[in-house]
Amino acid sequence: MKSSDQITILNRVIFVLSLAGILMASYVLQGWVRHSSILCLTGGGCTLVQKSHYSYPFGVPVPAVGLIGYTILAVLSFLRTTSTNKNLLKGILGMALFGVCFVSWFTYTELFLIKGVCMWCAISAVNMFVIFILAVTSIRSQRMSK
Amino acid sequence: MKLTSESKILLAIVGITILIIGLAAIVMTKPAPTLTKSDLVTPTAYTRGNKDAKTYLVEFSDFQCPACLATKPTVDDIIKTNQDKLLFVYRNFPLDQHPFSHQAAKAAEAAGKQGKYWEMYDLLFANQDKFSDALFPQLAERLGLDKTKFISDMNDPAINNKILDDIAAGTRSGVDATPTFFLNGKKLDISSFDDLKTAVTQAINQ
Repeated sequence: MKSSDQITILNRVIFVLSLAGILMASYVLQGWVRHSSILCLTGGGCTLVQKSHYSYPFGVPVPAVGLIGYTILAVLSFLRTTSTNKNLLKGILGMALFGVCFVSWFTYTELFLIKGVCMWCAISAVNMFVIFILAVTSIRSQRMSK
Repeated sequence: MKLTSESKILLAIVGITILIIGLAAIVMTKPAPTLTKSDLVTPTAYTRGNKDAKTYLVEFSDFQCPACLATKPTVDDIIKTNQDKLLFVYRNFPLDQHPFSHQAAKAAEAAGKQGKYWEMYDLLFANQDKFSDALFPQLAERLGLDKTKFISDMNDPAINNKILDDIAAGTRSGVDATPTFFLNGKKLDISSFDDLKTAVTQAINQ
C-alpha cells in the first residue's frame, strides 16, 4: 500500500473513531444533564461515577470534556481531507495526547477514588488511546513519505 | 474550502451515522410500561414499613453493587422516617458482572427462611467488599442462624427460582442498572440521594 493511501485510511479511521467518541460522549452527557438512566453493563458503576464530584473537574462534567475533544479531533481530521497543511496532523496528535492524559487520569480516579467503573468511560479511554496510536502512526508515515 | 472525494466520503459517513441513530431513536422510543402494584410487589417479596400504605417504593438491587451500597443509608433513612406511610419492597437484581451477587441474594433469601432477612440484608451490604463463598455461612453464624439449614436453603432450587423471577420481573419492567427504584409503579430517574427522598415525600403527601 502506498504511504499516501495509508495516511488517507488512517485519517478516515481517526475520523470514524472521533465520530464514535462524539456519539458516546453525547449519550452519556444527555443522561447526566437530564438525570435519566443510561445503559450500563458495569452494574451501578455509571451511576456511581455520575454522582461523584470527581466527575466534574472545575465544574465541567467529564463527558462534556470528551465531547469537545472528540469534536475537535473530528473537525481536524475532516479538514485534512481539504488541506495539505501538516499542522492539522500535529493538532490531532496534540489533542489525542491531551485525551490520553485525560482518560488516564480519569480511569485512575474511577478505580482508586470513585471505586466504580463506567462502561462508556472505559470504552472512550480505549478509543482515545487507539486514536493517539493512529495519529503517531500517521506522523511516521508522513515522515517516511517525504 | 474545496471538498475532495475523501471529504465527501467522510460527510457520507456522518450522514449514514445520523440516519442510523435517527432510525434507532424512533424504533427504541417506546412508552414506559404502566406497572401495577401486583407487578412489583409480589407476595413472596420481603418488605418493610406499612403493608397497607398507599405509597410503595420498590428497589431492584444487587448486594455486590457499589452504587446500591452508597444508596443504602438514604433508603434506610427513608424507611425509618416513613415507617407508617410507606411500604418498601426489596427485589433481587444480581448483575452478571458481580461474581458473588447471586450467592449473596441466595444468602439473604436463606436467612429470610429463618426470619432474619433484613438482618442479613444489613450484614451483606456491610461486608460487600469481603464477599467470598466462605463468608456467607459465617454471616449466618453471626446472626445465630441454623447453619446447616442455611446452607441447605441456599442450595434450594426454589430460592434460586425466586431470584430468577425477580430478575425477569425487573427486566420486564425496564430495569437495566442497579439500584432502580419504582415509586407507586413509576420508574424513578434520580440524580441524587436527595431526589429519592424528595420523590418519596411528595408521593406520601399527595
